[in-house]
Amino acid sequence: MGWSDLGELLERFVLPLVSGGELVVGRPIAIDALGDLEAQIPHVTPQLVAVDEARTEVIAELVVRPPALVFEADELCLAACVHNLLFLVHPRADSWAVSTSARMRVLDTAQEMAARPLSQSRSRVLARHGLLHNLFRLTRMDTKISWWTGSATYLGQRPPGRLRTWRSVRRVREEQSVASYEDLLGTVEVAPVVTALLRRAPLTQLLAMTRDGPPLYWEDAVFLLRDAELARAVAYRSLRGSEPRQVVAAPARFAAAFEQMLERAPAESDVRAVAAFLVHLNALLVVGEAGDREIGPRSPLLSAVLSPERAGQRQRGLATFFSLPAALAQIDPRLGVPPGVATDALLADRWLRHRAQVVEGVGEAVIETLAGRLRRHLTAVLPEHVSM
Amino acid sequence: MSPRDSTGPDWARSTAPGRGGLEHVSLGQSRFMTPGVAPDPRGILLGRYGLLIFPTLEGVVSWLRLYSAESPLDELLAALEISQVRTPLGSREMAVRIPAISSYVVDRAARCALLVGGATYTGTAKHFVKYRDDRSPYGYDAADLTPLPPDASIMVHGEDFTQTYARERDLPLDRLLLRLSRRRIPGGADLRPDERRELFLVVAHGLGEGVIRYLWRNRVVGRVGLVTPERKSAFDESRARVHLLFRVQDLPARILDLFRSTPGIDIFRPLTENVAVEVGYAHPIDLASCQSLFEPSRFFLFWGQRDQVDTIAAPLELSGIEHLTRLDIQLDQATSGDTLQIAALDAVGVPLELAPSLNPSRRVVGSLIPLEQARWLKRLIYFLPQTSLRGHRMALTDRGILIVASPDVDVIPLGTPLAEVAPGLLVPLGWDLVPRVAPDVLARSLGHNAGLYTVFPPSGAAFQIGDSALAPLERRALARIEIGGAEVLDARIEPPAEPAVVNEPVGRFALWGFRAPGRGD
Repeated sequence: MGWSDLGELLERFVLPLVSGGELVVGRPIAIDALGDLEAQIPHVTPQLVAVDEARTEVIAELVVRPPALVFEADELCLAACVHNLLFLVHPRADSWAVSTSARMRVLDTAQEMAARPLSQSRSRVLARHGLLHNLFRLTRMDTKISWWTGSATYLGQRPPGRLRTWRSVRRVREEQSVASYEDLLGTVEVAPVVTALLRRAPLTQLLAMTRDGPPLYWEDAVFLLRDAELARAVAYRSLRGSEPRQVVAAPARFAAAFEQMLERAPAESDVRAVAAFLVHLNALLVVGEAGDREIGPRSPLLSAVLSPERAGQRQRGLATFFSLPAALAQIDPRLGVPPGVATDALLADRWLRHRAQVVEGVGEAVIETLAGRLRRHLTAVLPEHVSM
Repeated sequence: MSPRDSTGPDWARSTAPGRGGLEHVSLGQSRFMTPGVAPDPRGILLGRYGLLIFPTLEGVVSWLRLYSAESPLDELLAALEISQVRTPLGSREMAVRIPAISSYVVDRAARCALLVGGATYTGTAKHFVKYRDDRSPYGYDAADLTPLPPDASIMVHGEDFTQTYARERDLPLDRLLLRLSRRRIPGGADLRPDERRELFLVVAHGLGEGVIRYLWRNRVVGRVGLVTPERKSAFDESRARVHLLFRVQDLPARILDLFRSTPGIDIFRPLTENVAVEVGYAHPIDLASCQSLFEPSRFFLFWGQRDQVDTIAAPLELSGIEHLTRLDIQLDQATSGDTLQIAALDAVGVPLELAPSLNPSRRVVGSLIPLEQARWLKRLIYFLPQTSLRGHRMALTDRGILIVASPDVDVIPLGTPLAEVAPGLLVPLGWDLVPRVAPDVLARSLGHNAGLYTVFPPSGAAFQIGDSALAPLERRALARIEIGGAEVLDARIEPPAEPAVVNEPVGRFALWGFRAPGRGD
């Protein structure tokens, strides 16, 4: 089946992609077909309104006043890109009738569809996030049916009823498994296209940092940290979870990407923004413990994730994340302590305990090394210029 | 011996006070570290007492002066204590302990204390925590309590410190009041007519006859008595003066000016029934607000220029000056005249009137709201907490809306506030009924008894209303409401479904004719 009707594409693929449910993957969409589909946009208002309302509901969880969203060519290209990537894991795309060059044509088409202009517009970023926010939650139900003389596997398809009849006589056995993001979009073949796609929707990537995904380039996403509302949403989403390792998973990935950023030649203002954000995450962890009377002088979170026994299993970037406040305090004390911590006695006390426990856990050498790397990018501030 | 030389207790030589820590109390919090504190109906953390700390005695006097000008000190006197306390480092401060009757009282005390450089804490026994401020509207609770050193009597917990104090000595308020010098008021000697309604004159014995004659000629109503100030000791020779004490009414301004410029005549203005202060001077603390400190069996004369306080046995027994004028007796001439017949004497009845009260203000127990302000009352009801709605009773009358509050709530601030002169007998606040007859006599003549409220409005005749006519405000607050049935809906929100890929059959040659980008036909 080809997608010649935009209304059908919106109903059966785009709307489920936004609000969940079964999204149907059919024949790939060619670049030439995009023009025809775009021309139908004024004539499928009911379906467009449904998609826009679903996107608005999604971003209403992040911002108080969602911008007005209008589905247009930009969203159509990105949705078609996702569709074509999902076609590459369609069982028919792997058959003898589809040559490698044919698969490459689909991949090139998806790459071109993803090559939309990068945007730092707040409403554009939110609109793209509303469309792609479920990218990491995509699943596919695979069914394998075995009978006494053979077996068949159906990837994202319902097995025919005839194979299920006479179950006991034919000794029919049915196994179901769920293919997740890694199976669908995490393959080596499509990873470059997914990376290009997520560079156009950096908010989606920041909010999904609790999961494995393509590497984060802070230079593309740092502008989001300058929007207090979005930065707050990212910060709160990144600290979800109850298990200590789960809580620090996203901050550790943020810090790992920050380490990579320091190896490039970023602008000083970008380094400062990301560093301040990571210090803010540190402060949120402190705030979470400050009001709890049952917690002793040592932080159970830090004890769990920085224990010397598990030093070998530490996530990448974890030491950098916790060492950052101490390292920044040596270069620019304004970045080392978030504003407002010093005014609350309980919070300030807990902050100092955390910092002391981090020094004990990671060692002063790590902090010194990080401070040395930061000095290459940050202009030091003399102590007398610091007003705290 | 200086405090440094003394062999002080252990705590006095201990290290500097530890760094304290306070937690903000939240609304509805019920468990606290500080012993003896609990939230009041407004949710504000309150102990049995408020503790005000001042660096010097001047701070205490300034606070008393400020507070007494705003609110009667009488309500605090039951448990008010002024003490000199010492810190472990030997510095001395002044502590004033007041009963925490309500958070409104402590709020007022804290505001006055802050204005004169004091700090306010609340607690019950030994531990006192900082009282609420703008940063923590429901107060503070101590984060960490340490036991008091053996000789310390109180420990205060501030935001950044804890401090222990040992009590050195107490300073009774009545002694402090008598010690304070009166201060001259610029223009205070020019009295208005209402201030001249009743005055006391202390006249030297030698001037007595002349003053009596002068007042009598000028038709000034007055009474006079011979008084001797009580001696404090047998050696107090200077106090053995005998004066004539006049109580005069409606003294004309010209006579007042004459008396002020006459040596040997001193003029006093009564503040309460048994306290008078020299005209032109004022006590730093409003004496009318602490009347219970002055024994009813004594009359206190606060001199201004001499800086002394004379006490006289009370009640004052004075005689009318009209009976003391000089008589010319001529027994030689025979008297002649008609014989008159006296008819039956009518009862001497005077109408009951409202007059400004000299007594300290009483507690407001009710309010009379004009009918035209009923709309305001309706609006106010929306903002009242449940305790206030339950604590008020109201009755709608043709004279206005009568609101009566139970003792534990403050009256709605609308209309004319009413105070109780006798059970059920309500007069406007700041007014009194004259003639000042005993409450039971008054009640009998008014036909007032239990189960009745007799209200004297600011204008118009008094009216009575039965207690049964008053209904709780929470019952009267609601208009008749039509209640219809409602259908219960399931408001649970289904969690968003996971997006699941379904592969549609695309045929064996799915990519037949699929062109690469940028490649034409």
